[in-house]
Amino acid sequence: MVASTDILFYIAFLGQIFLTSYYFPNKILNRMDFVLKSYPPEQYPLLYPRSEAYYKFGRAGFRIATRLIFGLGFVILFAVMFLVDHANFADDGFISEFWPALYGIIQFLPLMALEVTEFKQLKLMRQQNSVSKRKADLRRRGLFDMVSPLIFFAAIACIVGSIVIDYYVHEFPQGFGSDTSERALVLTMTNLLLAGLGAFLLYGKKLNPHQSSDDRNLIISSNLRSLCYCSIALSIFFVTQAVSDVIDMAFLDATLMSIYFILVVYISLGENLKRLPIEDMDFEVYKKAAL
Amino acid sequence: MEIAIDINHPDPLFTQLIDQIKEAVQKGDLKPGEPLPSIRQLATDLEMNNKTVAKAYRLLERDSVIQTRGYRGTFVHPNAKANSTVDLNAWVTNKLSETIAEFREAGVTDSEIRNAFSNVISERTTQGAR
Repeated sequence: MVASTDILFYIAFLGQIFLTSYYFPNKILNRMDFVLKSYPPEQYPLLYPRSEAYYKFGRAGFRIATRLIFGLGFVILFAVMFLVDHANFADDGFISEFWPALYGIIQFLPLMALEVTEFKQLKLMRQQNSVSKRKADLRRRGLFDMVSPLIFFAAIACIVGSIVIDYYVHEFPQGFGSDTSERALVLTMTNLLLAGLGAFLLYGKKLNPHQSSDDRNLIISSNLRSLCYCSIALSIFFVTQAVSDVIDMAFLDATLMSIYFILVVYISLGENLKRLPIEDMDFEVYKKAAL
Repeated sequence: MEIAIDINHPDPLFTQLIDQIKEAVQKGDLKPGEPLPSIRQLATDLEMNNKTVAKAYRLLERDSVIQTRGYRGTFVHPNAKANSTVDLNAWVTNKLSETIAEFREAGVTDSEIRNAFSNVISERTTQGAR
Protein backbone atom coordinates (compact mmCIF):
# COMPACT_ATOMS: atom_id res chain seq x y z
CA MET A 1 0.00 0.00 0.00
CA VAL A 2 1.21 3.51 -0.86
CA ALA A 3 1.98 5.68 2.20
CA SER A 4 0.23 9.05 2.50
CA THR A 5 3.62 10.81 2.68
CA ASP A 6 4.52 9.21 -0.65
CA ILE A 7 1.28 10.52 -2.19
CA LEU A 8 2.17 13.98 -0.84
CA PHE A 9 5.54 13.72 -2.58
CA TYR A 10 3.95 12.61 -5.86
CA ILE A 11 1.64 15.64 -5.79
CA ALA A 12 4.49 18.03 -4.96
CA PHE A 13 6.72 16.48 -7.63
CA LEU A 14 3.95 16.73 -10.24
CA GLY A 15 3.66 20.40 -9.33
CA GLN A 16 7.43 20.78 -9.74
CA ILE A 17 7.32 19.08 -13.19
CA PHE A 18 4.35 21.09 -14.40
CA LEU A 19 5.38 24.55 -13.13
CA THR A 20 9.08 24.59 -14.02
CA SER A 21 9.06 22.57 -17.23
CA TYR A 22 5.67 23.37 -18.73
CA TYR A 23 3.74 26.33 -17.30
CA PHE A 24 6.51 28.92 -16.97
CA PRO A 25 8.43 27.84 -20.12
CA ASN A 26 5.14 28.19 -22.04
CA LYS A 27 4.74 31.70 -20.67
CA ILE A 28 8.30 32.52 -21.77
CA LEU A 29 7.66 31.04 -25.24
CA ASN A 30 4.47 33.11 -25.56
CA ARG A 31 6.43 36.25 -24.67
CA MET A 32 9.04 35.38 -27.31
CA ASP A 33 6.28 34.93 -29.92
CA PHE A 34 4.60 38.16 -28.87
CA VAL A 35 7.84 40.15 -29.20
CA LEU A 36 8.75 38.60 -32.58
CA LYS A 37 5.25 39.26 -33.97
CA SER A 38 4.55 42.68 -32.46
CA TYR A 39 8.06 44.13 -32.76
CA PRO A 40 9.58 42.62 -35.92
CA PRO A 41 13.28 43.12 -36.77
CA GLU A 42 12.42 45.33 -39.79
CA GLN A 43 10.78 47.94 -37.56
CA TYR A 44 12.76 47.42 -34.34
CA PRO A 45 16.29 46.65 -35.59
CA LEU A 46 18.03 47.66 -32.35
CA LEU A 47 16.29 44.84 -30.48
CA TYR A 48 17.87 42.20 -32.71
CA PRO A 49 21.66 42.33 -32.88
CA ARG A 50 21.52 38.94 -34.62
CA SER A 51 19.42 37.60 -37.49
CA GLU A 52 15.77 36.65 -36.96
CA ALA A 53 16.63 33.02 -37.81
CA TYR A 54 18.98 32.92 -34.81
CA TYR A 55 16.16 33.88 -32.42
CA LYS A 56 13.76 31.38 -33.99
CA PHE A 57 16.43 28.68 -33.65
CA GLY A 58 17.00 29.66 -30.00
CA ARG A 59 13.26 29.60 -29.34
CA ALA A 60 12.95 26.13 -30.88
CA GLY A 61 15.94 24.90 -28.83
CA PHE A 62 14.41 26.19 -25.60
CA ARG A 63 11.06 24.60 -26.45
CA ILE A 64 12.61 21.19 -27.22
CA ALA A 65 14.80 21.26 -24.09
CA THR A 66 11.90 22.11 -21.76
CA ARG A 67 9.61 19.53 -23.37
CA LEU A 68 12.29 16.82 -23.03
CA ILE A 69 12.82 17.74 -19.38
CA PHE A 70 9.05 17.74 -18.89
CA GLY A 71 8.99 14.15 -20.17
CA LEU A 72 12.02 13.25 -18.04
CA GLY A 73 10.06 14.35 -14.98
CA PHE A 74 7.45 11.67 -15.59
CA VAL A 75 10.18 9.08 -16.19
CA ILE A 76 11.72 9.98 -12.80
CA LEU A 77 8.30 9.91 -11.14
CA PHE A 78 7.59 6.49 -12.64
CA ALA A 79 11.00 5.22 -11.51
CA VAL A 80 10.47 6.57 -7.98
CA MET A 81 6.98 5.02 -7.82
CA PHE A 82 7.75 1.58 -9.25
CA LEU A 83 11.44 0.91 -9.91
CA VAL A 84 13.60 2.36 -7.12
CA ASP A 85 14.12 0.26 -4.03
CA HIS A 86 13.93 3.04 -1.45
CA ALA A 87 14.99 0.78 1.39
CA ASN A 88 18.38 0.25 -0.28
CA PHE A 89 18.69 3.67 -1.94
CA ALA A 90 18.30 5.77 1.21
CA ASP A 91 19.39 4.93 4.76
CA ASP A 92 16.03 5.86 6.23
CA GLY A 93 14.02 3.89 3.66
CA PHE A 94 11.95 6.90 2.60
CA ILE A 95 11.93 8.53 -0.86
CA SER A 96 15.23 10.38 -1.08
CA GLU A 97 15.37 14.18 -1.63
CA PHE A 98 18.03 13.34 -4.22
CA TRP A 99 15.28 12.85 -6.87
CA PRO A 100 13.54 16.25 -6.70
CA ALA A 101 16.91 17.97 -6.18
CA LEU A 102 18.53 16.33 -9.21
CA TYR A 103 15.47 16.96 -11.36
CA GLY A 104 15.19 20.55 -10.09
CA ILE A 105 18.78 21.26 -11.16
CA ILE A 106 18.11 19.76 -14.61
CA GLN A 107 14.92 21.85 -14.88
CA PHE A 108 16.85 25.06 -14.27
CA LEU A 109 19.40 24.35 -17.02
CA PRO A 110 17.35 25.75 -19.96
CA LEU A 111 16.40 28.77 -17.85
CA MET A 112 20.07 29.38 -17.03
CA ALA A 113 20.96 28.98 -20.72
CA LEU A 114 18.31 31.60 -21.48
CA GLU A 115 19.89 34.00 -18.97
CA VAL A 116 23.36 33.47 -20.49
CA THR A 117 21.94 34.06 -23.99
CA GLU A 118 20.32 37.27 -22.76
CA PHE A 119 23.64 38.51 -21.37
CA LYS A 120 25.35 37.73 -24.68
CA GLN A 121 22.55 39.49 -26.55
CA LEU A 122 22.93 42.60 -24.38
CA LYS A 123 26.68 42.55 -24.85
CA LEU A 124 26.20 42.49 -28.63
CA MET A 125 23.73 45.36 -28.34
CA ARG A 126 26.33 47.40 -26.47
CA GLN A 127 29.03 46.55 -29.00
CA GLN A 128 26.81 47.53 -31.93
CA ASN A 129 25.66 50.73 -30.29
CA SER A 130 27.53 53.49 -32.13
CA VAL A 131 25.37 56.33 -30.85
CA SER A 132 27.27 59.20 -29.25
CA LYS A 133 24.28 60.16 -27.08
CA ARG A 134 24.05 58.60 -23.63
CA LYS A 135 20.97 58.80 -21.48
CA ALA A 136 20.55 58.65 -17.73
CA ASP A 137 17.76 58.99 -15.26
CA LEU A 138 17.89 61.91 -12.82
CA ARG A 139 16.00 59.91 -10.20
CA ARG A 140 18.04 58.43 -7.37
CA ARG A 141 18.26 54.64 -7.46
CA GLY A 142 18.54 53.87 -3.76
CA LEU A 143 17.86 50.43 -2.32
CA PHE A 144 14.63 51.50 -0.62
CA ASP A 145 13.46 53.37 -3.71
CA MET A 146 13.43 49.99 -5.42
CA VAL A 147 12.41 47.52 -2.76
CA SER A 148 10.18 47.90 0.28
CA PRO A 149 12.15 48.13 3.56
CA LEU A 150 9.67 45.63 5.01
CA ILE A 151 10.66 42.91 2.51
CA PHE A 152 14.36 43.75 2.87
CA PHE A 153 14.39 43.63 6.66
CA ALA A 154 12.17 40.51 6.62
CA ALA A 155 14.91 38.82 4.56
CA ILE A 156 17.59 39.96 7.04
CA ALA A 157 15.44 38.79 9.99
CA CYS A 158 14.95 35.39 8.31
CA ILE A 159 18.72 34.94 7.85
CA VAL A 160 19.42 35.81 11.51
CA GLY A 161 16.41 33.80 12.68
CA SER A 162 17.46 30.77 10.65
CA ILE A 163 21.00 30.77 12.09
CA VAL A 164 19.79 31.37 15.66
CA ILE A 165 17.12 28.63 15.46
CA ASP A 166 19.67 26.21 13.97
CA TYR A 167 22.13 26.88 16.83
CA TYR A 168 19.34 26.77 19.41
CA VAL A 169 17.88 23.39 18.35
CA HIS A 170 21.39 21.92 18.23
CA GLU A 171 22.21 23.40 21.68
CA PHE A 172 24.82 25.87 20.41
CA PRO A 173 27.56 23.54 19.12
CA GLN A 174 31.11 24.91 19.34
CA GLY A 175 33.68 24.91 16.55
CA PHE A 176 33.38 24.92 12.78
CA GLY A 177 32.99 21.22 12.05
CA SER A 178 29.29 20.86 12.85
CA ASP A 179 26.39 20.80 10.36
CA THR A 180 25.04 23.90 12.08
CA SER A 181 28.14 25.98 11.44
CA GLU A 182 28.36 24.67 7.88
CA ARG A 183 24.74 25.67 7.27
CA ALA A 184 25.36 29.10 8.78
CA LEU A 185 28.39 29.54 6.54
CA VAL A 186 26.55 28.41 3.38
CA LEU A 187 23.57 30.64 4.23
CA THR A 188 25.83 33.65 4.80
CA MET A 189 27.86 33.07 1.64
CA THR A 190 24.75 32.55 -0.52
CA ASN A 191 23.19 35.70 0.86
CA LEU A 192 26.40 37.62 0.21
CA LEU A 193 26.18 36.40 -3.40
CA LEU A 194 22.55 37.58 -3.59
CA ALA A 195 23.61 40.93 -2.08
CA GLY A 196 26.36 41.20 -4.69
CA LEU A 197 23.82 40.56 -7.46
CA GLY A 198 21.53 43.18 -5.93
CA ALA A 199 24.35 45.72 -5.73
CA PHE A 200 25.23 45.05 -9.37
CA LEU A 201 21.61 45.62 -10.38
CA LEU A 202 21.49 48.89 -8.45
CA TYR A 203 24.92 50.33 -9.05
CA GLY A 204 26.32 48.31 -11.94
CA LYS A 205 26.56 49.45 -15.51
CA LYS A 206 23.55 49.66 -17.78
CA LEU A 207 23.44 46.36 -19.64
CA ASN A 208 20.83 47.32 -22.23
CA PRO A 209 22.03 50.53 -23.93
CA HIS A 210 18.61 51.36 -25.40
CA GLN A 211 16.30 50.52 -22.50
CA SER A 212 14.16 53.35 -21.12
CA SER A 213 14.76 54.45 -17.55
CA ASP A 214 11.27 53.48 -16.45
CA ASP A 215 11.67 49.93 -17.77
CA ARG A 216 15.10 49.63 -16.22
CA ASN A 217 13.83 50.78 -12.81
CA LEU A 218 10.88 48.40 -13.03
CA ILE A 219 13.16 45.46 -13.84
CA ILE A 220 15.63 46.36 -11.08
CA SER A 221 12.82 46.68 -8.56
CA SER A 222 11.27 43.37 -9.59
CA ASN A 223 14.61 41.55 -9.52
CA LEU A 224 15.54 42.97 -6.13
CA ARG A 225 12.23 41.80 -4.71
CA SER A 226 12.85 38.36 -6.17
CA LEU A 227 16.32 38.28 -4.59
CA CYS A 228 14.79 39.14 -1.20
CA TYR A 229 12.14 36.42 -1.60
CA CYS A 230 14.83 33.92 -2.65
CA SER A 231 16.80 34.80 0.48
CA ILE A 232 13.68 34.28 2.63
CA ALA A 233 12.97 30.93 0.91
CA LEU A 234 16.58 29.85 1.48
CA SER A 235 16.41 30.75 5.17
CA ILE A 236 13.14 28.81 5.54
CA PHE A 237 14.72 25.82 3.77
CA PHE A 238 17.70 25.89 6.13
CA VAL A 239 15.40 26.09 9.16
CA THR A 240 13.48 23.03 7.99
CA GLN A 241 16.80 21.22 7.52
CA ALA A 242 17.88 22.17 11.04
CA VAL A 243 14.56 21.21 12.59
CA SER A 244 14.47 17.89 10.72
CA ASP A 245 17.68 16.91 12.57
CA VAL A 246 15.85 17.13 15.88
CA ILE A 247 12.30 16.18 14.96
CA ASP A 248 12.28 13.08 12.76
CA MET A 249 11.03 14.46 9.46
CA ALA A 250 12.97 12.19 7.09
CA PHE A 251 9.67 11.01 5.55
CA LEU A 252 9.05 14.63 4.42
CA ASP A 253 12.53 15.44 3.05
CA ALA A 254 11.72 14.70 -0.60
CA THR A 255 8.38 16.54 -0.43
CA LEU A 256 9.99 19.58 1.18
CA MET A 257 12.74 19.63 -1.45
CA SER A 258 10.13 19.53 -4.20
CA ILE A 259 8.11 22.32 -2.57
CA TYR A 260 11.33 24.32 -2.17
CA PHE A 261 12.01 24.11 -5.92
CA ILE A 262 8.41 25.14 -6.67
CA LEU A 263 8.80 28.11 -4.32
CA VAL A 264 12.11 29.18 -5.88
CA VAL A 265 10.81 29.02 -9.46
CA TYR A 266 7.64 30.85 -8.47
CA ILE A 267 9.34 33.71 -6.65
CA SER A 268 12.19 34.10 -9.12
CA LEU A 269 10.55 33.48 -12.48
CA GLY A 270 6.82 33.56 -11.82
CA GLU A 271 6.84 36.83 -9.91
CA ASN A 272 9.04 38.51 -12.52
CA LEU A 273 6.77 37.35 -15.36
CA LYS A 274 3.77 38.68 -13.44
CA ARG A 275 5.32 42.01 -12.44
CA LEU A 276 6.88 42.75 -15.81
CA PRO A 277 4.11 42.53 -18.39
CA ILE A 278 5.68 42.64 -21.83
CA GLU A 279 2.85 44.81 -23.17
CA ASP A 280 3.86 47.62 -20.79
CA MET A 281 7.50 47.73 -21.92
CA ASP A 282 8.70 50.58 -24.07
CA PHE A 283 9.80 49.07 -27.40
CA GLU A 284 9.91 52.39 -29.25
CA VAL A 285 13.52 52.79 -28.06
CA TYR A 286 14.52 49.90 -30.33
CA LYS A 287 13.45 51.71 -33.49
CA LYS A 288 16.22 53.26 -35.56
CA ALA A 289 14.38 56.57 -35.48
CA ALA A 290 14.63 56.57 -31.69
CA LEU A 291 18.35 57.37 -31.89
CA MET B 1 13.29 62.52 -15.88
CA GLU B 2 16.03 61.67 -18.37
CA ILE B 3 19.07 63.61 -19.48
CA ALA B 4 21.14 62.95 -22.58
CA ILE B 5 24.83 63.67 -23.01
CA ASP B 6 26.44 63.71 -26.42
CA ILE B 7 30.10 62.69 -26.28
CA ASN B 8 30.72 64.18 -29.75
CA HIS B 9 29.25 67.55 -28.85
CA PRO B 10 31.79 70.42 -28.78
CA ASP B 11 30.69 71.44 -25.25
CA PRO B 12 32.53 69.66 -22.43
CA LEU B 13 30.58 66.84 -20.79
CA PHE B 14 30.36 68.56 -17.40
CA THR B 15 28.92 71.69 -19.05
CA GLN B 16 26.26 69.62 -20.82
CA LEU B 17 25.40 68.01 -17.50
CA ILE B 18 25.16 71.38 -15.71
CA ASP B 19 23.02 72.89 -18.47
CA GLN B 20 20.60 69.98 -18.52
CA ILE B 21 20.18 69.88 -14.76
CA LYS B 22 19.56 73.65 -14.71
CA GLU B 23 17.10 73.26 -17.60
CA ALA B 24 15.26 70.51 -15.72
CA VAL B 25 15.05 72.78 -12.65
CA GLN B 26 13.75 75.69 -14.71
CA LYS B 27 11.14 73.53 -16.44
CA GLY B 28 10.01 72.19 -13.08
CA ASP B 29 11.01 68.60 -13.87
CA LEU B 30 13.26 68.74 -10.82
CA LYS B 31 11.56 70.20 -7.75
CA PRO B 32 13.27 71.78 -4.70
CA GLY B 33 14.30 69.13 -2.19
CA GLU B 34 14.09 66.31 -4.74
CA PRO B 35 16.92 63.80 -4.39
CA LEU B 36 19.44 63.56 -7.21
CA PRO B 37 21.35 60.44 -8.22
CA SER B 38 24.71 59.85 -6.61
CA ILE B 39 27.85 60.80 -8.53
CA ARG B 40 28.65 57.13 -9.02
CA GLN B 41 25.16 56.28 -10.33
CA LEU B 42 25.15 59.10 -12.86
CA ALA B 43 28.74 58.41 -13.94
CA THR B 44 27.97 54.69 -14.43
CA ASP B 45 24.75 55.34 -16.34
CA LEU B 46 26.37 57.92 -18.62
CA GLU B 47 29.59 55.87 -18.91
CA MET B 48 31.54 58.89 -17.73
CA ASN B 49 34.39 59.40 -15.31
CA ASN B 50 33.25 59.99 -11.70
CA LYS B 51 35.40 63.12 -11.65
CA THR B 52 33.43 64.69 -14.53
CA VAL B 53 30.12 64.26 -12.72
CA ALA B 54 31.72 65.39 -9.45
CA LYS B 55 32.93 68.56 -11.18
CA ALA B 56 29.45 69.27 -12.55
CA TYR B 57 27.91 68.71 -9.10
CA ARG B 58 30.55 70.92 -7.47
CA LEU B 59 29.77 73.78 -9.85
CA LEU B 60 26.03 73.31 -9.42
CA GLU B 61 26.52 73.39 -5.66
CA ARG B 62 28.58 76.58 -5.99
CA ASP B 63 25.67 78.12 -7.92
CA SER B 64 23.25 76.91 -5.21
CA VAL B 65 21.28 74.81 -7.67
CA ILE B 66 21.91 71.63 -5.68
CA GLN B 67 23.02 70.94 -2.13
CA THR B 68 24.81 68.02 -0.54
CA ARG B 69 23.48 66.82 2.79
CA GLY B 70 26.30 64.57 3.99
CA TYR B 71 25.61 60.86 3.78
CA ARG B 72 21.97 61.48 2.80
CA GLY B 73 23.11 62.50 -0.67
CA THR B 74 22.52 65.37 -3.06
CA PHE B 75 19.24 67.28 -3.35
CA VAL B 76 17.82 70.10 -5.44
CA HIS B 77 18.40 73.42 -3.61
CA PRO B 78 15.26 75.14 -2.20
CA ASN B 79 16.07 78.24 -4.34
CA ALA B 80 17.30 76.23 -7.30
CA LYS B 81 14.87 77.75 -9.79
CA ALA B 82 15.99 81.31 -9.10
CA ASN B 83 19.65 80.32 -8.91
CA SER B 84 19.70 78.30 -12.10
CA THR B 85 18.80 81.36 -14.15
CA VAL B 86 22.04 83.02 -13.02
CA ASP B 87 24.69 81.99 -15.50
CA LEU B 88 28.03 82.59 -13.80
CA ASN B 89 29.94 81.81 -16.97
CA ALA B 90 28.07 84.50 -18.88
CA TRP B 91 28.57 86.93 -15.96
CA VAL B 92 32.35 86.27 -15.88
CA THR B 93 32.60 86.66 -19.68
CA ASN B 94 30.65 89.92 -19.48
CA LYS B 95 32.78 91.33 -16.66
CA LEU B 96 36.02 90.34 -18.39
CA SER B 97 34.88 91.88 -21.68
CA GLU B 98 34.17 95.18 -19.91
CA THR B 99 37.54 95.15 -18.14
CA ILE B 100 39.47 94.24 -21.29
CA ALA B 101 37.70 96.99 -23.21
CA GLU B 102 38.81 99.47 -20.50
CA PHE B 103 42.43 98.25 -20.73
CA ARG B 104 42.41 98.57 -24.53
CA GLU B 105 41.07 102.10 -24.26
CA ALA B 106 43.95 102.91 -21.90
CA GLY B 107 46.38 101.56 -24.56
CA VAL B 108 47.28 98.25 -22.96
CA THR B 109 48.19 95.65 -25.62
CA ASP B 110 46.50 92.22 -25.79
CA SER B 111 49.72 90.37 -24.92
CA GLU B 112 50.19 92.62 -21.85
CA ILE B 113 46.63 91.87 -20.79
CA ARG B 114 47.21 88.13 -21.35
CA ASN B 115 50.46 88.19 -19.31
CA ALA B 116 48.90 90.17 -16.50
CA PHE B 117 45.87 87.87 -16.46
CA SER B 118 47.93 84.72 -16.28
CA ASN B 119 50.17 86.27 -13.58
CA VAL B 120 47.14 87.10 -11.45
CA ILE B 121 45.63 83.65 -11.98
CA SER B 122 48.88 81.82 -11.17
CA GLU B 123 49.46 84.06 -8.12
CA ARG B 124 45.95 83.17 -6.87
CA THR B 125 46.55 79.48 -7.57
CA THR B 126 49.85 79.55 -5.64
CA GLN B 127 48.20 81.36 -2.71
CA GLY B 128 45.37 78.83 -2.76
CA ALA B 129 47.86 75.95 -2.71
CA ARG B 130 49.55 77.35 0.41
